[in-house]
Amino acid sequence: MNLTTFYLAFAGLVLAPLLGGLVAGVDRVVTARLQSRMGPPLLQPFYDAGKLWSKVIPPASHWQGLFVRWALVASLASDVLLAAGADVLMCFFVQAASACFVAMGAFCGNSPYSKIGAQRELFQLLCYEPVFLVAILAMCKAAGGFDAFAIMAAKGPLLYKLPLLIPGLLFVVLVKLRKSPFDISASHHMHQEVVRGVYTDYAGRDFALLEIAHWADVTVVLWICSFLWATGPLQMVAAGLAFLFAALLIDNISARLTWRYMVKVVAPVSLFLATANLLWLYLE
Amino acid sequence: MGFLNKSQLKSPWLMHFDCGSCNGCDIETLACLTPVYDVERFGIINVGNPRHADVLVVTGTVNPRNAVVLKNLYDQMPAPRLVIAIGACGCSGGVFREAPNVLGGVDKVIPVDVYVPGCPAKPEAIMDAVVTGLAKLKGILEAR
Repeated sequence: MNLTTFYLAFAGLVLAPLLGGLVAGVDRVVTARLQSRMGPPLLQPFYDAGKLWSKVIPPASHWQGLFVRWALVASLASDVLLAAGADVLMCFFVQAASACFVAMGAFCGNSPYSKIGAQRELFQLLCYEPVFLVAILAMCKAAGGFDAFAIMAAKGPLLYKLPLLIPGLLFVVLVKLRKSPFDISASHHMHQEVVRGVYTDYAGRDFALLEIAHWADVTVVLWICSFLWATGPLQMVAAGLAFLFAALLIDNISARLTWRYMVKVVAPVSLFLATANLLWLYLE
Repeated sequence: MGFLNKSQLKSPWLMHFDCGSCNGCDIETLACLTPVYDVERFGIINVGNPRHADVLVVTGTVNPRNAVVLKNLYDQMPAPRLVIAIGACGCSGGVFREAPNVLGGVDKVIPVDVYVPGCPAKPEAIMDAVVTGLAKLKGILEAR
């Protein structure tokens, strides 16, 4: 590991959660504008996290604090791996571990809503992880390398070779951003049938750390999506924003689906499309 | 004032509990969330979980049965917390205060920080109550 890699990894560790927080701020402002509202300030997610951090409340279970911290470590590690140009598949697996820790922490709580949310979180993992894995495999095959730098150094946009990945990646972004119609485990817009689902029992500092882990996750997912047009830094930002705005638009025009529909229809269809694209690359 | 204290004032998450209201005040409370009033511009979010809430908004009269629930919700909220009693019933029991099953206003069970009169209370008055409550919270945070 040379010094440049170390600097890049450190930048990933610090900047990725901040970027994720900004994405959350943009999300809330744009959503409000789409609904003819003014919306909160851009930095509102940071105020929310600061507020949660300063709240004193005993945890629902002593295991929860441990799982939250592991989830945060795993999410930040996936950012660091991606920023340092490591294997994208490794980044994907570390990020999946983070999602598992969140669900395990929710299972430790006493609230039935928390347990329902955790079960739904596992269903979501079951649905989007294979799609995301095949999408990453297809990107690596098209770019000719498994590390992030190899994909970002690919000649020309990968999108032309990977058009069938778009529905799958959009599905992944919608799930990871906790947006309708796949906001099944957490009820991002609160006060709904499972209260806050997987987040119900997390409160105070644990919840603040979980928010930061979520921001880190969002950065990783949008970053991997932006590999589809990785011809330069600006193009990558534009590609990431395109996925974000598509997700916001879909969130505002759709109602929540049931987990059964997600498992039976959405996951198989998007997985079939992504796999077809991967096979096409091999047969080409 | 540091970032953490400032963020407490910029991010009040509300939990609304109907203690036996006629729904008049509840509709006015929910009207605050609509594009016309848009309380999210103050960072206010309506939450359904007492563990995430900073401000408890209570409408309606208190009776011996829902007093237990009200106390339970209040006890689950993390400190520092604010309580806002909305409408004539929430403030004092209103026209029902002499009824045999009515204990009175919200302050018979939990300490109330801001009272919002009206039957029903106007959305503007409810938003003003939150702002007044935050000014009180600011005093508490600065005095620490």
